[in-house]
Amino acid sequence: MQRETWVVILVLLLAGGALYLHITTTTEEFSRHNIGWNGTSNLPAEDVRDLSRLDPGSTLLILAPDRPFTAAEVGYLRAFLDGGGRIIIADEEGAANPLLVDLESEIRVRPGNLSSLERDYAHPGLFKGYVVENDTLFAGVETVLLNRPAAVEGGEPLVETSVFTWDDIDGDGHVGEGETFGRRVVCAREGNLIVLGDASLFINAMLPENTKFIENLQPVQIDAVHSRTGSRNPIINTLTWIEERPPAVAALAALAILPVAWRFGRKRE
Amino acid sequence: MRPRASHIILAAAAVLLILLLAGEAVDPVLYAAENISTAAHADPSTIEKRSPGDAASVVPLMDELLGHTGTLALTIKVKDYESAERDLARYSELSSQFDRLVVKLDLSETDIAEFQKSNRQNQEAMAALLNDSQRLDELKSLEIEVLDGDQRMAVIYEGEALRQKMKETYTAYANREPETARIATRYGANATSYEESVDVLDEVVGAAEEWQEGNGTSSGAPRSPLTISITPREGRYGENLTINGTYGGGIPGTPVTIYIDSRIARNTTLDGNATYEYPYRIGRVLAGPHLVYATAATIFSEVTTFDVLAADTNISLAVVEVNRTAVACTGNLTTEDGRPVLEAPVLLRVDGETLISTETDGNGTYARTLVLTGGEHTIRAEFNAAGYPLNSSRSQVETLQVRGEGLSPFPFIAAIAAALGAGWYIRRRGLPEEHPVQEEPDIEPPPEIAETVPSVEIEGLPPREAATLLFRALRERLGIPASKTPRECARLAPDHAAFFERYERIRYAGEVPTEEELRSMEREALGRG
Repeated sequence: MQRETWVVILVLLLAGGALYLHITTTTEEFSRHNIGWNGTSNLPAEDVRDLSRLDPGSTLLILAPDRPFTAAEVGYLRAFLDGGGRIIIADEEGAANPLLVDLESEIRVRPGNLSSLERDYAHPGLFKGYVVENDTLFAGVETVLLNRPAAVEGGEPLVETSVFTWDDIDGDGHVGEGETFGRRVVCAREGNLIVLGDASLFINAMLPENTKFIENLQPVQIDAVHSRTGSRNPIINTLTWIEERPPAVAALAALAILPVAWRFGRKRE
Repeated sequence: MRPRASHIILAAAAVLLILLLAGEAVDPVLYAAENISTAAHADPSTIEKRSPGDAASVVPLMDELLGHTGTLALTIKVKDYESAERDLARYSELSSQFDRLVVKLDLSETDIAEFQKSNRQNQEAMAALLNDSQRLDELKSLEIEVLDGDQRMAVIYEGEALRQKMKETYTAYANREPETARIATRYGANATSYEESVDVLDEVVGAAEEWQEGNGTSSGAPRSPLTISITPREGRYGENLTINGTYGGGIPGTPVTIYIDSRIARNTTLDGNATYEYPYRIGRVLAGPHLVYATAATIFSEVTTFDVLAADTNISLAVVEVNRTAVACTGNLTTEDGRPVLEAPVLLRVDGETLISTETDGNGTYARTLVLTGGEHTIRAEFNAAGYPLNSSRSQVETLQVRGEGLSPFPFIAAIAAALGAGWYIRRRGLPEEHPVQEEPDIEPPPEIAETVPSVEIEGLPPREAATLLFRALRERLGIPASKTPRECARLAPDHAAFFERYERIRYAGEVPTEEELRSMEREALGRG
């Protein structure tokens, strides 16, 4: 084969790889297809689309929910909880509150702009939360690095902020008029239901910061239907649809192999 | 693959790659990822790390400060003045540390700042009570030595003045306790020692009163011949109060010393009417009650008080570019009624973190030139009113773009020099583009270089084998290496391209040449035509 042919093949492979990466990834916040810092592609979790088939006794993570749950789905979740399963709802925008009501929980997420003076980073929204109660999720964990969390009300507190935390209403990064210091609960539990006011704990950039916590979470299934972990990119959704259907994968593989087989067959003749 | 086709595919692939990369390449994050954040979160790997100790030390420091009040009160009570001096020095040092922390953490609008103010007042009260207790003990000793006459009266007058002063000081101290303890408790600091200090100091002041009562001078003490009054009894920063009085029986020209909060405020003399006067301008003193008394030789006046009321302040900031890297920050610091605040510390907070100190002049104006790196910066002027009867203020945040040092010409000069050098070198070595044949010396096998005509006998051979012999003959005649394929031969000898292409089809596509074609190929192979 000529040298030019090799070069062409190499460049085409590179171009194809770049194109594949380009069309199969996204920059959408929390997306499992986002390989950037704000995606969740590196979170070790199994995507679940059918809540009626949850493994009893396992952990389900509902991360940054943004779509409503049907009555049937709420029923599945309640049955899952009753069966000893653990549900972790990570939300910082309050979108989980209707689900919490449906699950007859007293816990609520109160969105805000929590900031703290007691921090290791220049960003006021990037600060430590302190584990205040024993739970397997926080076994061996004393502090959690929070990332612009929301306060959580009700339930039994699991993680609290330091006393030098305030809701930065005007967003100027310092405690001003009408803003007061005080401890805030950012994670609480009610039986097997845990509500965490910080979905950002699971983004790629945060995984190395809270390794033990992520380790404790395993094995975990992640709701891929009602949360922002999906994508609005039609190409990604089409590829996902194909991946989930073995016959479609087989058909696609056949489509790719046939021209090659035909070409080789012709050559042999 | 044809060269033209491969070039088109390469170009198309390259364009596709460039287009894909171009979309990302213009993103500055690729080159300087800094402070990346969205509404939901920030990227910790791009956020500057800082010392975690600042905020974490607030509550322990509050604890220490409160603890020191208890210790200090006890040492004053047991009259261990040497230890008390040491404790007070340490207390003062911790208070300064706490003041700096409040400024650094930008806590001036929180209740921590309230705590800071109370703590400063407590520190002053402790210092005053320590001094007064020491002086009271001296008076007690003196009283034993001096049994009668004017000197005894002087001791009694001073003792009475001290008693009143200690009582006033203690009352203010005790009044601050509930709020200060509430703030401390809110942050988890232990206020027990501080609360106990109030009781201990009550005993200290009570002992002073008992001694005066023992002299029969506490409530019905003879009026001192040296009187004192203040008008008006309250004022704000920059306002004048008049402190005056008379000395019954005093001789004109007698020196009179006026004390404010136990510190000498002014030395004056009695005039012809045996009166004295001191116009006192309220400056850098804490808001709240202040004690005043006067002495003329050994005679003490009674103790009187005046109140300093807190006032709001305004601070302005104007930023003007001086050069590419320096900006001049100027502004005025005034009270709410427009009085300039003189020689007061002003902080310039750059980018929310860095603090640069300056000071107002005699007109309440400050000026400071800052050297900044290129890029966008924010500056805010702040007046932290610690020690003043004023409330803190801060200016509007000014955002400015600093041009920074211009690009250094050296990289450009180096690049141009490198380009020129490379050009010279390539020219000297010979540009490949200019001598493409040098890359592949066998690319132009001139037909004339091998004119030896091989002998070929194709009669009787099968047509395809005959064609192969003719191909080899022509290749040999043209001096083309035997390793070359027909297609390569066509490229190397374009004049015979038709021959080689025909042979390629015969060889690889299985075509069979006609007799006529073979004759034509033979002529070409042997160079007869």
